Amino acid sequence: MSVCERDYQLAAAAMQSPHTLDERVLQQARSFRATRQKYPWVSKAASGCAAFAIAVLLIHPAQYLGALTPSGTSHPVTTSSEIKALASWQEYAGEALARTDPWFELRQTVKTGDHVALCSHWREQKRGTTAEKLPADLAQEARRHCRVLQLR
Amino acid sequence: MTRNAFQNLSDEALLDYYHSTRNLRAFRQLYSRHKDSLYRYCAQMNFSAASTVLEQLWHSLLERPPELCGRLLRNWLFIRASQLLTQSATAADTEHNGEPGESPLAEAARMAPGESSALLAAMQQLPRIERNIVLLHMECRLPLATIADIERISLKKCRGLYQQGKDRLREILHGPERQPWQVEEVRL
Repeated sequence: MSVCERDYQLAAAAMQSPHTLDERVLQQARSFRATRQKYPWVSKAASGCAAFAIAVLLIHPAQYLGALTPSGTSHPVTTSSEIKALASWQEYAGEALARTDPWFELRQTVKTGDHVALCSHWREQKRGTTAEKLPADLAQEARRHCRVLQLR
Repeated sequence: MTRNAFQNLSDEALLDYYHSTRNLRAFRQLYSRHKDSLYRYCAQMNFSAASTVLEQLWHSLLERPPELCGRLLRNWLFIRASQLLTQSATAADTEHNGEPGESPLAEAARMAPGESSALLAAMQQLPRIERNIVLLHMECRLPLATIADIERISLKKCRGLYQQGKDRLREILHGPERQPWQVEEVRL
């Protein structure tokens, strides 16, 4: 670059395109709409639907069923109504268990310390006279407490 | 495509991209690359018509991609700008023919931003064809052969005019070339 050209560059650097002209040209450019995008899956409608679905999943009330903790208390059971409810539940549970469990009565007698019925049942089972077997816990109890009389 | 990627593209690639997608950011990048030197050229050639010519030029580029035919976009821009400038100059001449008073060129020379620098003021004093050649070569960096094509003169004549324009500039700025004190030989 010669001296003359460099002088010219330095002098002309002060001249710059005015803002009004820039704005007018960019306004013209803005009047040409952007063409449709090649990727339909990033269209506004699709992404809006996806965002809505995610929002529904996140703030749906069913997400938080049972997530609310009861009003926090240090003692597990305090009020009389709770105690009553618990007692009634235990009664109900006992009845329900008696209705469903065939060994309930036997278990009750064993729990009170009476092993006579259990041992008689155990002997019958050993001799093979009854088909029904004792459940595992009762069988263990019987093995610990009962003697089996040897048959001749 | 990110903003950084636009900076790495050449002018022609940017133009292609702009016309396939009409992405405003691509056009803005293209515009910011050339706006200053185009404005300098147009304002020094014809200050009053510069903004209309530039608007027209960019509008034609926006409407339809120019047929570059292997030329650089930069060259195309300056060639088109010089064409538009000569058109506007002839139109202004026909308009102002009947009116008495100063010609639009002199008016433009007075209004042009020559006050800021002596060099620019000197540039305004050059005749139109020399100014065009000097500006196209120094500001727009077009080769002299292209300038000769634009002006429709031979390369030799163009080179001569360029040299002449530079000499004239130097003369305006620094005065006439130094002459020897005594031209005639003293004979005793």
